[in-house]
Amino acid sequence: MPGMSSRRSALNWILGPDPNAVGTDPDYRFTLANERTFLAWIRTAMALVAGGLGAIHLIPDTLGSEILGLLLLALAFLTSASAYRRWFQSEQAIRLGEPLPTSRLPQIMAYSVAIVAAVTAILFIIGGFEL
Amino acid sequence: MVSSFERHPKVSERPARERRAKPDRPDRHFDAGLQHERTALAWERTAFSILVAGAGLGRFAADDGFYVEATIGGLMVALGAGILIWAGNHYDALHGPLRAGDSPVHPNAARLVGLAATGGSLIALLVAIKLILIN
Repeated sequence: MPGMSSRRSALNWILGPDPNAVGTDPDYRFTLANERTFLAWIRTAMALVAGGLGAIHLIPDTLGSEILGLLLLALAFLTSASAYRRWFQSEQAIRLGEPLPTSRLPQIMAYSVAIVAAVTAILFIIGGFEL
Repeated sequence: MVSSFERHPKVSERPARERRAKPDRPDRHFDAGLQHERTALAWERTAFSILVAGAGLGRFAADDGFYVEATIGGLMVALGAGILIWAGNHYDALHGPLRAGDSPVHPNAARLVGLAATGGSLIALLVAIKLILIN
């Protein structure tokens, strides 16, 4: 059925191929380590969601806190959207004995969180003078 | 979808003699690093984080009158609770396939969590943008 296969390929584009389809079963410890890394990224994204919503809702209305919140939420989306993709790419690489795919996400995350921390500190200092 | 784990009986359901490792998979090696337990705990922490993020999204979206988004937050809470239950059962059942040498990979669980986290953070971002545009 052509409709079926095109729907399947659309799903494949979003979800990626089944990582089990290639290579051989590796030492299960590698599979589980890859799984934990994926889960750690998801938790990071969820912490960013909580932080972003908190920045917008809990800090008194200033433009700064809203920009901060938007930055955190955008970072959360970027992180979670790439986490699954990296998981199946790594899984395939482990099964094929290839080097793991590289990612710029850790770098982006480190710089973004550093910027958020600096902006927060500046906002706190300005807020202190206003009081 | 039936995963490969379900073909194996849970470790608690098998007689003690069978719980011993197969000759090619010694116990000492099997438990080195407590891999399955650490992975189960990682799933459980992740379930809690989805639950908390969903509760926050639900609460804040409802405060601002975005009831569709608030419902999605509620669904994330339910999903977090579901993953918590699944992780507990799943890692009891994981002893079997690991000893048998099967792959413990489960793409569907990873897909569900990945899509839920992506969708949830996108909805949270949209709520924040809407809120700022309204103000």
